[in-house]
Amino acid sequence: MHGLGELEAAVMDVLWRTDEPMKVRDVLEQLDTGKQLAYTTVMTVLDNLHRKEWVERELHGKAYYYEASFSREEAAAQSLRDVLEASGDPEAVLMHFIASGSDKETDLLRSALRKKRVRRR
Amino acid sequence: MTIAVALLAGALAVGWLVPGVLRRADLRRRDPLLLIVAWLISMAGVVLAAAAGVLLLLTPGHGAGAPLLVLIDRCWSAVQHGSPPRVEEFAGLLGLALLGAFAVRLVVVSIRGARRRARKRQENLSLLRLAARKETGPPDTLWLAHDRPLAFSMAGRPGVVVATEGLTRHLDDHAVAAVLTHEQAHLAGRHHLLVATADALRAALPFVPLFTQAPRAIRELAELAADTAAVRHCGPAAVRTALQKVSSHGAPSASLAMAQEAVDLRLARLRHGSVPPGGLRRAISCGITGVTAAALPFLAGAVLLLLITLVSCR
Repeated sequence: MHGLGELEAAVMDVLWRTDEPMKVRDVLEQLDTGKQLAYTTVMTVLDNLHRKEWVERELHGKAYYYEASFSREEAAAQSLRDVLEASGDPEAVLMHFIASGSDKETDLLRSALRKKRVRRR
Repeated sequence: MTIAVALLAGALAVGWLVPGVLRRADLRRRDPLLLIVAWLISMAGVVLAAAAGVLLLLTPGHGAGAPLLVLIDRCWSAVQHGSPPRVEEFAGLLGLALLGAFAVRLVVVSIRGARRRARKRQENLSLLRLAARKETGPPDTLWLAHDRPLAFSMAGRPGVVVATEGLTRHLDDHAVAAVLTHEQAHLAGRHHLLVATADALRAALPFVPLFTQAPRAIRELAELAADTAAVRHCGPAAVRTALQKVSSHGAPSASLAMAQEAVDLRLARLRHGSVPPGGLRRAISCGITGVTAAALPFLAGAVLLLLITLVSCR
């Protein structure tokens, strides 16, 4: 389970580093996990990510082209929002060490956080 | 019966009076770890003394009676003109029922809380791991592509530190190191577990001041303890720089606003510049504090017993 999560993160990283939609083969080539992965493994991971709505895919000819549903920054804001919401339960997150920035920044953050899974393009 | 009542009274006295004493401690100077020990062990001591009192009520003849205790008991009986044993049994059973209720509640609350936290943490973590760049090393650090400087730690096996890239953009290297050391100290000191324990005890015994005030105090002390570790590794200047980036406005949640209060205290402590001793000396003083805190309800009970004796045998 943990290993699968690592793979998903690695695949998302590949998709975020590239602007173009990618085929499974392209993703496999770009992946740098330290060990050789099977084509079907990467396909399964992409399939999972698609089901979770983290990636979108489009059929061109016989192959699916994958791209991230949102940017790395949006993903970060989204996950932060989830954690901050959970910190109403303060054991989950012990301490926010730093909360800096102007009101404007905070408003920007808030609105960024409200937009849930907005398409990049 | 007298000893049992004295023990229960001792537990009550500690439960009501100790929070005031602990809160008066000068947090700018005292070792936060010592105070964490004092809070937690005091709670354990109160529970132990109360349990011992109830069990004594139920033990016929109260086990082996030292001559002094027998004398005290006789004196008290003389004053009382003898209390029928039925009352004793009844009180004991009632106490046992209360104690049982407390134990069951503590177990239920702890398990339920632990399960809920674990589930939520797993959800958060799977999302964070997907969104973040991982920096391996015990503990792992998850870097998020976010401009607002922010860092926190999440318990678990193993725990992780989460930090935003904004941290490295807005702070110098020393301050970033201080922030990360602070968060790592939370994980190394198992502060999440300490806070969760205090929360569970409060949930189980929500009417005793010692238990209601402990969670908040321990949260604050955990921050001070983590700062101490950060100061030790990165120096006070780096920690101060990091802390001063905290602005009073723009806190997006209640927990952040609460943290702000603690921030003033943390800065005051840095100004004071006291670093607690490390190693053996610290271990010894923690041990002494722990033993004292555990014994306190029993001591209070003994003092009460002595007072009763003085009053009734004069």
